[in-house]
Formats: sequence, C-alpha cells, structure tokens
Amino acid sequence: MSFLEVTKQLTNGFGVTVVIFLITLAVSLPLGLIITFGSMSKILPVKWITKTFVWIIRGTPLMLQIILIFYGPGLLFDMPALPRLTAVLIAFIINYSCYFSEIYRGGIESISKGQYEAGQVLGMTKTQIFFKVVLFQVIKRIVPPMGNEIITLVKDTSLARVIAVTELVKAAEDIVSMKMIIWPLFYIGAFYLLFSALLTFLLNLAEKKLNYYSG
Amino acid sequence: MSFLEVKKIYKSFGKTEVLKGIDFSMEKGEVLAIIGSSGSGKTTLLRCMNFLETPDTGTISVNGNVLFSSDEPPYSDAEKREKRLHFGLVFQQFNLFPQYNVLKNVSLAPELRQLKAKKVTKAEKKEIIRQIDDNSRRLLDTVGLSEKVNNYPCELSGGQQQRVAIARALALNPDILCFDEPTSALDPELTGEVLRVIRELKTSDRTMIVVTHEMNFARGVADKVIFMADGVIEEYGTPDEVFGAPKSEKTRSFLEKSLENP
Amino acid sequence: MKKRILSVLMGAVMCLGLCGCSKTEDTDWNYIMNKGEAVIGITYYEPMNYLDENGELTGFETEFTKAVCEKLGVTPKFQVIDWKKKEIELKSKTIDLIWNGLTVTEDRKENMAFSTTYLKNRQVILIKKDNAEKYTDTKSMAGASVAYEGGSAGETAASADETLKDCKQVSCDAQKDAVLEVKAGTADIGIVDYTLARSSVESEDFADLMILENVQLMDEYYAVGVRLEDTETLAKINQAIDELAKDGTLLELAKKYGVDDIYAL
Repeated sequence: MSFLEVTKQLTNGFGVTVVIFLITLAVSLPLGLIITFGSMSKILPVKWITKTFVWIIRGTPLMLQIILIFYGPGLLFDMPALPRLTAVLIAFIINYSCYFSEIYRGGIESISKGQYEAGQVLGMTKTQIFFKVVLFQVIKRIVPPMGNEIITLVKDTSLARVIAVTELVKAAEDIVSMKMIIWPLFYIGAFYLLFSALLTFLLNLAEKKLNYYSG
Repeated sequence: MSFLEVKKIYKSFGKTEVLKGIDFSMEKGEVLAIIGSSGSGKTTLLRCMNFLETPDTGTISVNGNVLFSSDEPPYSDAEKREKRLHFGLVFQQFNLFPQYNVLKNVSLAPELRQLKAKKVTKAEKKEIIRQIDDNSRRLLDTVGLSEKVNNYPCELSGGQQQRVAIARALALNPDILCFDEPTSALDPELTGEVLRVIRELKTSDRTMIVVTHEMNFARGVADKVIFMADGVIEEYGTPDEVFGAPKSEKTRSFLEKSLENP
Repeated sequence: MKKRILSVLMGAVMCLGLCGCSKTEDTDWNYIMNKGEAVIGITYYEPMNYLDENGELTGFETEFTKAVCEKLGVTPKFQVIDWKKKEIELKSKTIDLIWNGLTVTEDRKENMAFSTTYLKNRQVILIKKDNAEKYTDTKSMAGASVAYEGGSAGETAASADETLKDCKQVSCDAQKDAVLEVKAGTADIGIVDYTLARSSVESEDFADLMILENVQLMDEYYAVGVRLEDTETLAKINQAIDELAKDGTLLELAKKYGVDDIYAL
C-alpha cells in the first residue's frame, strides 16, 4: 500500500477526529458555563444535584461513559441504540462540559469581590456585571488551564474507537490488520503532533492578545 | 429637614454588633469626614448607605425621600439599583475594571444604564454615546487625567487609578459621593494628588462623606467631623470642635495616637 | 486487570438488561425483517473482510454474507466493531449477526448461538526466523513469553498445552497485536489462527516471522454468531448455508479468496 493511499485512508479517520474535536468544543464551552451556574447556584438542591453529577462524570473514565451511552439503551431498556458517532459526541460533550465547568468555576471564584461591588454601586444589573465586567477577566485567567484540556481533548478523541468509530487511531489499526504493515501506526503520530502544534499556536496567540492588560 | 438623614442604624454580623444606633444628618454641599480606629464601624456605615450591606434596623433618607427603612419589606434587586444611585462610592482598593481603558471605565455604567432604559434608534444611540463620551472626558479632565484616557488601569500609578475611580463615581452624578479610605492603599507620596482632587470637588458644591485616616485632611476640608468608636458616634461637630476641644476621653486619646503616628 | 473490570461492569449492565429485554413480544426474526436489513458485526482482516484498493469492502466472509442474506431477503449492513465487545454489541442489538471468522468456543456458547460451521482453521505458533533453531517444539519454549488475543481460541490453545500454560502470558487486544508483539520482540512466540499467520508472514513487514508448521495446536471451527434466543433466524441461516454448500457456490468463494484449504463442508 503506497504512502499516498495510506495518507488518503488516514485522512478520512482524521476527519472524524476533527469532527469529534470541533463539535465537542463548540457545545461544551457554553454548556460548561451553564453547569458552572448550577454548581454555584444559591438554590441548594440545584447546587448539590449539579455537583454530584460533575463528581460522577469526573470520577469515572470517559471510555466507560462512551460504552454506557452506546450500549446502555439497548441493554437496559431494549431501546434502539444511537448512531455510533452521536453516542461518542454525547459522551464527550457531557464529559468535557463538566471539566470546563470546574475551570470556569475556579476562574469566577478568583475574581475579587471588589469587581462585583464596583459594578453594583454603579447601578449595573447582575447580568451586566457578569457579562460586562467579570466574564472577560475570567476568560483571561482560564486560557492556560483551558488550553491544557483542549490539547487533551485532541488525544482523547482516540477513545471513540471503543465503540468502533473509525477515528485516526482506528483507521491506522485497520490498515495494520488488513495490510499487515506497521508504519501507519507511527505515521499518525505526525497528524496528532501537527494538530496540537496548530492549537498551541492559536492558544498562545489568544494568550498574547489577552495580555494587553495585567491583573 | 436635612438633605441626608440617617436614623437609628443597627447592624450585626452574626453575634458581633458593628453598628449600635447611628444617627446623623448633613446638608447639601457639606463635606463630612468620618474618623475612628479600624473596627469602629465606619466602613460598614458607608457600605450600608450604598446598599452593599443591609442594616438590621433604621432609616436612611435623602432630600425627603426614604431610601431605606427596616419597616419595609426587603427590596428587590431592581429597587436597590435605583436607590443606590443617590450615592456614589470610591473604594479603598479602587476596583477599576482592568480590561477597559480609562475612558471606558468611566463611560461603561452610564452607557449600560441609558441604552438599556429605553428603546433607541441607531442615531439616538450614537448621540447618547457621544454625550456620555464628552461628559466622561470632562470628568477625567477635572481629575487631571485628560492625557490618560486611552491607557489601561495597570499602566497607571495608584494615585492616578484612584482619580479614575473618582471620575467613574461622578459619572452617574450621585447626590452624595462617598469615599472609603481613598488613600489607605496608596504610597504616602501619592496621597496628596488624590486629596487635592477631593478638595477641589468641594468647591463645586458637592455633598461628600469621606471615611479617612488623614487627620489634616479632615480638619482642613470637612465641614463636619464624626468620630466613631465601637459602633457608635462618640463625637460630632465642626473640625475645630472635634480636633480643638474634644469632649470625649476616647476622642482625645485617639487623636493623640494619630498625631504620634500619622 | 483492565479487561476484568470491564467484563464485571458489562456483566452488571447485562444483568440489569435481562428484565428489560424480556418484554419483547415480537421474535428476533421479525425484528430483523421489519428493518429489512441485518447489521453484520465485522472487523477488517484479510481475506475475510477487508477493503480493496478502491476502498470497497470485500473478502470471503463479505461475499458469503451477501449470498446468504440474498436468500433470506434482507440487506446486509456491515458494521465494523471492536471485536472484544462483540457479545455486548449483539445483546444490545447494535448488530444482529457476528460473521467474521468467528471461532466456536464453549465460553461463547453462553452468549450466542452458532450456525453450521463452514471453515476449519487451526491455531499456529508464530516466531521470529532468528529463533528457528531455539524453538522447535512447544517443550523448547519453557521460559518464553507467549502472546495471543485475550479470550480467543489462541488463549485456549495456550492454556491447553503443558509447557505453554506455564509461560509468561501476554494477553493482547487483537490477534494482530499478538503478531506485533512477536515482531517487536516483546513476546517470544505468538499464537494466532492460521489464515492470519499466513497473510502475515507473506507480507513485507512481517517477513522476518515464520510459522512453526510442525507444531499442532487445537483446531477451530468458524460459524455465524446469532442472538441466543433467536432460533428462527438461526434455522434460516443454516438452511441458506446448506443450499450454498450443495450448489458449490461456497467452495467457489473459498477458492477465490484462497481459503479452500480450510474449507470444511
């Protein structure tokens, strides 16, 4: 099998990897913020339900969550299973939303009380204080830890193969077992490295842009 | 009836009683200095007037309107927002918004307020923003920072930041402007510029309450002085009365100590 | 260890599932017929199910499946699965049949029903050519490390042999990983099925490996895996296989893909 043919097949797998990455990121970033509001809520039942949920999701392996979401409906309730990619996306979105929510929470709690009070005495509403005063400062503070999670997400996409979604690693494994050649396994490392290099570059750019002020 | 009337304010945090019945009044255009050792309750009193704390009992009225009364049911957030606009507050730690430049720090609150209040056309919106912008620049000129409008707070000295905070508080045109130890977080050489700005504001006929440790400032600028100790007003009078001939033993010993370590 | 935890968890899920599954009144055959398609669980490997140069799925099992499904009047839909989860895929109805060189074992009979067997394969030992003098029979392998796919016939073969069962065991995720272990030198010998071993040693990357032809391990038989309770589908598949064997179609297919030497009908 030629280099070009292998590259072509791996590119298909890489496409799936990128789809999982992008959709997870696009949905988890806002959803994580909503979960943060839940876990910081003054309504105690909401707060404890959210915190328990986050604890369960963060305390169990993502791989197990993928397996349960895909096979669970059929095994437990005799219901039709979700399409494989959909099940993967749901598992990733829930998992990453919970991780993001904790990063948001840390960021929000690190903003001094004085910022809220300054907004209050200037007659701003709670919503205005959050979106016009606090959020931007939170974003600046969470870019580094968020960057870590985002790079981890790139590599976590390889877990999708436990329910036989053909992402990059599975695409390579399929070639290895079909054609009995080994080098594609090493070759996909380059895909991941290039992808995370691009993300590192973008994250550094964001960090630099946000560094126009300090504090 | 006086311009500001504060009656029977009590406030406890848990079992600690911080304010034990505060009564005072002041007239429009007056400057009131509140002095006293730390823990005497002066900052809490200021925070009560700005609705950052809710007194347990008492009333606060401005210009004949009751703003706070412990007899009324708790106010909604929206009610509090309207009521607290009678007061402005300058914090000890400035609390500027670090992500906005100096001009935006001053214009943000008026913009949010005026653009949210009513539906406006694009042209009207432009006009409102222009007016707020002009007013903000004028205020920054008043505090001597017209050259710093495009700088960010982190690029300014502490004294300059506090002057921005004063302009920001003035932008909503409050009836009474409060200062919570405005120079305590500053290096000694920077306090002068801030005190000068506050002194200049007096001439423009503004009502101000200044919680301060600067005895010379209180004596030179204030029309009335309150000395607070242990949650009560220990002494009240003109600067000459309080500093020149204090009636209370507590006031005397406090003033002696302050003069020893200014 | 990881595998054990996983299987305990799956067991728990399946126990919970029992109450849920029993409420199906309709038979499994009707379920498949109503869909009009049977989802076939496969993994890619030559010559059973693999992609040709155009990226089209082909192979002995692929064509065999298509021929049987045509007789049954359903459309086959090939779904690549994780081989270790074939039982759970079958039970959760994410696939309807397992048809991919599936070896009949006693353990598997608890989780699925098997059709008529059609190929007789055998487990063979794979070693590096450099070790050809060192390893001549299983007795010479004392102290070596042995790799196989966990839960496969290879594992059964290893535990059945007097010497191999005391060797250091390397349980892999897939047969191809056992081949990789031998190639990388992380295991001394690999136990895989004959078809896979043969295509490995014939390939360029694994040309330094060889099959120990003179060592006889267990035979194994290939069949189609069907849901345990589904006797109706099973009977229809068996009838179709029988017809295809009788008219010679199946042997033709075996010749086409070079598996006629293990054809067993």
